[in-house]
Amino acid sequence: MTTYADLSPQARMLLTFEVQEFLFHEANLLDSRRYAEWLEVLADDIHYWMPIRRTTQAREVHLEFTQPGGMAFFDDDKGILSMRVQRLSAGRAWAEDPLSRTRRLLTNIVVTAIDGDDITVASNFQLYRTRLNSEEDEWIGRREDVLRRVDNSFKLAQRHIYLEQTVILAQNMSSLF
Amino acid sequence: MSKTIIATDRQEIDIKACFDPATGIVDRRIFSDEAIYQKELQQIFGRGWNFMCHESQIKTPGSFFMNYIGEDEVIVVRDRKMNINVLLNSCPHRGNTVCRAELGTTKSFFCSYHGWNFDLDGSLVGMPGETEFYANEIDKKAWGLTPAAKVENYRGFVFATLDPDAPSLDDYLGWVGRLSIDFMASKGELEFLDGVHKNRLKCNWKIAVDNLFDWYHVKVSHGTAFKIGLVAEETMAPNRQMVMLGEYGHGIGGPGITEAEQAEFDARMAGAAGEHQWYDRSAELRQDPGVRQQLGPVGTRSFGHPNIFPNLWVSLTNQLCLRIPRGPFETEIWWFNYLPKDMPEADRKYAIFGQNHVFGPAGILEQDDGENWSHSTRGAKGPATKNLPLNFSMRLGKDQVLTDPSGQSRIETVVNEHGQRWTYQSWQEWMLAESWQELMANHSMPPQGTV
Repeated sequence: MTTYADLSPQARMLLTFEVQEFLFHEANLLDSRRYAEWLEVLADDIHYWMPIRRTTQAREVHLEFTQPGGMAFFDDDKGILSMRVQRLSAGRAWAEDPLSRTRRLLTNIVVTAIDGDDITVASNFQLYRTRLNSEEDEWIGRREDVLRRVDNSFKLAQRHIYLEQTVILAQNMSSLF
Repeated sequence: MSKTIIATDRQEIDIKACFDPATGIVDRRIFSDEAIYQKELQQIFGRGWNFMCHESQIKTPGSFFMNYIGEDEVIVVRDRKMNINVLLNSCPHRGNTVCRAELGTTKSFFCSYHGWNFDLDGSLVGMPGETEFYANEIDKKAWGLTPAAKVENYRGFVFATLDPDAPSLDDYLGWVGRLSIDFMASKGELEFLDGVHKNRLKCNWKIAVDNLFDWYHVKVSHGTAFKIGLVAEETMAPNRQMVMLGEYGHGIGGPGITEAEQAEFDARMAGAAGEHQWYDRSAELRQDPGVRQQLGPVGTRSFGHPNIFPNLWVSLTNQLCLRIPRGPFETEIWWFNYLPKDMPEADRKYAIFGQNHVFGPAGILEQDDGENWSHSTRGAKGPATKNLPLNFSMRLGKDQVLTDPSGQSRIETVVNEHGQRWTYQSWQEWMLAESWQELMANHSMPPQGTV
């Protein structure tokens, strides 16, 4: 099995470029409200997950995040993500009517593992949202994605989202991360 | 003569005029006035029994969970004798918090400012310089963390009050409050799951609370849930409703079935012919004779939303929702999740799926609530809008309270605002009473006859 460290600098550069290109495109689909196209870049077996984070004593930092299979803000498969998208055009999805304005900034994109066609990528993000006249929300966090190489592109097979908030300081999380 | 909309505030708001039970009119300023809010913290949260946690959340000595009584932070902690203590999180030396984590396990609470150290029951163990600087003159018995006046639990649900004159938890809950918990506890031994969904809304806490009785908003606020097939409209928002009202403001309101429907269901389960009904999934959970015994003949037929006054919604989705005030215009929403301990693995997965996807800030249903509640609150503070009345008149004077031979009284009707009116009437009584003695003497008994 090839690991990222085994790759030549040129190969690492190319891979990182391809990964970035995919992630920027994917973020742009969400920013542009092209949700149907966004669903198409998801693998059918995607796991989209955002655990609950807590303030703990430093020596109990292992309790900071809830565990997979337990309580979470998002624990979605493709069916649920499709439902979230379907909601938006179904009418009466008040959290998004009027529509939110969102912008996603991605940075610190690093390939952390390669397992066959699955490439694990860590990134930092900032999701800025405004609504109505003066509603403003901002989420910053880290994502651990798995990008699966399919044909000449990728499908997103995993997105684990770790927010820098414990109590969510927004009225809702109707945006996708 | 038309009333002027813009008025100059000259005096304190008269609580007696804030709710009129004869018309169901509510004064909007109860959702925005700072003086009213401060009084609520003292007279409602400071006096009432507040939900702290379930005993399964703090199983071992030293395990703790942080909660609030109004805006005062409290540590709920199991001590070495296995007692549960509720301690105000404030060091008596300078007022600093002695615990900064939301949950965890500790041997003691050590103040990070000067090192005063407190045992798990709140007693002061010692401090740096006890001899050199204080000449051993600090009376350690007098300078511990301040405990809640009373801590009691009902079927594992732990509550605390800061008022020593409060009645026992059992008396406080009454049959409606106890039934609210029995709905859950009758499922068997409960285990709370790790993880409380928390988020902040820009709404007054009472607007969040009154919404739990509101089966009028479901088809409009959450209309999208039916359209995408998350839940069937007839199951989620049936017109058939049952309301039960209890002393001190507790209430249960929402779907319920008639005696005839219950008999039809029972016959069908016993093999008689008949079609699937909207209530089947709820009624199926109430077939066990032991469960029916616990819930009583009327409680068995209710699938409504209970509120344990002031701010604990017990949801039939194996969740509790606590609405914690953060000023007149802000509320923290906490969703606790639990399951029966012996639930089969497949059912567990399905239940957790529901707990993660229906409510909470990313919940497919609840994400549509926040802006409505925030904007309703905003409507309570505009210089003009705050002086306009709010209409809570639905089904006022149109329904009858029926009392079962078991003593369980209820209103069987359609979508209504009985629960909301009872909440505001009780709120008014809490706000007018100067003490528990006064509240006990003067509060309304649940209505009889026409409501």
